[in-house]
Amino acid sequence: MPLTEAVLTKRIPTFPWGDPKNRRTVGIDQFMATGGYETLKKAISMQPTEIVNLVKDANLRGRGGAGFPAGLKWTFLPPPDGKTRYLCINCDEAEPGTFKDRLLVDFDPHLILEGIAIACYACQLDTAFFFIRGEYHHQAKVMQRAIDEAYAKGIFGGKGLLNGASNFKVECYLHRGAGAYICGEETGLLEAIEGKRGWPRIKPPFPAVKGLFGRPTIINNVETLAAVGPIVDKGVAWWKGCGCESSVGGPPSYGPKLMGVSGHVERPGVFECDLGIPLRKLVEDYCGGMRKGKKFKGAIAGGVSMGVLGPDQYDAEMDFDIGRKYDVLGLGTACPTVFDEDTDMVAVARNLARFFKNESCGQCTPCREGSGWMLKLIMKVERGEGTTKDLDLILEIAGSMGLTPGTTICGLADGNNFAVRTIVNKFRGEFEKRVKPVYVPVTVGAR
Amino acid sequence: MAWITKPSATQTIPTRAEPYLTAAMKATWERDLIPRYATRHGALMPILHEIQHAHRCVPYQAMIEIAGFLKISPAEVLDTVTFYEEYTTEKLGQCVIGICQSIACEVCGHKKLVDHVRSKLGIEPHETTDDGKFTLLTLECLGSCDTAPVALFNETLHENLTIEKVDELIDRARQESGGGGHH
Ligand SMILES: Cc1cc2nc3c(=O)[nH]c(=O)nc-3n(C[C@H](O)[C@H](O)[C@H](O)COP(=O)(O)O)c2cc1C
Ligand code: SF4
Ligand code: FES
Repeated sequence: MPLTEAVLTKRIPTFPWGDPKNRRTVGIDQFMATGGYETLKKAISMQPTEIVNLVKDANLRGRGGAGFPAGLKWTFLPPPDGKTRYLCINCDEAEPGTFKDRLLVDFDPHLILEGIAIACYACQLDTAFFFIRGEYHHQAKVMQRAIDEAYAKGIFGGKGLLNGASNFKVECYLHRGAGAYICGEETGLLEAIEGKRGWPRIKPPFPAVKGLFGRPTIINNVETLAAVGPIVDKGVAWWKGCGCESSVGGPPSYGPKLMGVSGHVERPGVFECDLGIPLRKLVEDYCGGMRKGKKFKGAIAGGVSMGVLGPDQYDAEMDFDIGRKYDVLGLGTACPTVFDEDTDMVAVARNLARFFKNESCGQCTPCREGSGWMLKLIMKVERGEGTTKDLDLILEIAGSMGLTPGTTICGLADGNNFAVRTIVNKFRGEFEKRVKPVYVPVTVGAR
Repeated sequence: MAWITKPSATQTIPTRAEPYLTAAMKATWERDLIPRYATRHGALMPILHEIQHAHRCVPYQAMIEIAGFLKISPAEVLDTVTFYEEYTTEKLGQCVIGICQSIACEVCGHKKLVDHVRSKLGIEPHETTDDGKFTLLTLECLGSCDTAPVALFNETLHENLTIEKVDELIDRARQESGGGGHH
């Protein structure tokens, strides 16, 4: 069923419901005048476990890239023991091509804060750290102002949620990153809040059991938390009415989703759509089609870690199963970068390989060494000095790194793997035109 | 940013008599930052942000002072400083131009911007002009791919950039840093 009203973008004018030109940051007064923090009021009248069950029943899947069910994650927490437990909000948003969380922070920060307050109450987490990437200078100021406003109105702080309407107290702090993509990985993020270099941790133990400062911790994406309020407000049936069932027998992809389109389209931007919308529809109906009427050549599925969709995959449904159907890693952040017919895919591969090489934290050998090695090989191909054997070697290195083959600590290497491998595979002809063939000597006559 | 080792074995860490951390700074941190984090180490990043902002680098002496304040090893401070792109041991220019080089910006023409700044200022990416006015950086995705190509000029993001706009921004930055007498 198609989305009939703006939900996450209710206060953020967005096509087709509004004109982005009219966007303004919504302050707390305007937020409250338009129903804001009413859902928090409703939430604290419920039992915490009721809310967890609601989010679980809704099957809210994480919006940060992995699509892990939020409600299920919340049930991994041990029972409260009276000591500090944390919620970490992931606003690292450093995945190239991704700019959807920024929209919420820029224009409706209290929607996020309301979700944070509800999640803290539901999971009985008393301290929230809003982790925001260092380059979001303006956004850090907007968010800090919103947090200050929320404190001034007694949403957070010493009296208990909503000025003491609940005796559960939540503190909320902003923590700025400093320019490292790996801190978007949930345990790299924890290290950064602890003041250390962002080296992801080996799991288990999982953060729900042993997270920030060794205490139970939930890490969720900004958009995931922003969706919690609307679910509590409108209910599970409504949520399940948006989005789609799985087309391959897997778990469903419910709810509205922010999708950010960039690259060679007429009107790039963030749109709120039903999960499952075909990429073609997203480009044609929301973005005004391909730029200058050029032909579609390919697209990054949703942040560079996911890999690319090929020319024959323009109709791919943007749901959490996209990976299984179209040989990409997954939906990721649902932010596709679109390429037109003139795009040099070898250059795209080089760009992505450079990104992963630059951002590898360096603690796993296949990722640290493999990323640099692949970049060198791709650059060699780009210069026209490569051979067909180099292409095979690139695929071999790519395929050997990541959580999937089980050789690395975190998923950054899987991103590198999929980014490079899908481009070389789906645009093999373009790579082959750039390399010299290697003739394998064959002994004539033997057997 | 990489930890740049000095070529000389006799190199000493530059020091100054006046400490980088004032009593007032320490008192503010003790009141506002330390209670937030379960360990003193936790306050390291916000403190480094403040020092980097004030000095356009994190001087070695400041690292040692911070280590003392947080009761951690100077090696732990150096470790964090050198891991994150935004903290630098080398002093950055007054105007840091950080051009996004990630995929959306590349396919929307970031390279001509980088080349333009290189030739206009006579520096390569990750270098600073001799007069200390400009540093050129190439950065990864700045989270504004729909308005590519983009660049940060210090803390301000500029979108849908063209060579003309970049020229204007550089000229403006040059005037502002020109030492015209008023601050
Ligand atoms: C290398 C890497 C980078 C990541 N970057 C982000 C990010 O910027 N933002 C985010 O929300 N999740 C990011 N993730 C996913 C997080 O690890 C984690 O799954 C997510 O924050 C959980 O929130 P969710 O379940 O609400 O999606 C990243 C993962 C990896 C492996
Ligand atoms: S896979 Fe790469 S980024 Fe992730 S922990 Fe290992 S070295 Fe670091
Ligand atoms: S690719 Fe340049 S802002 Fe995202």
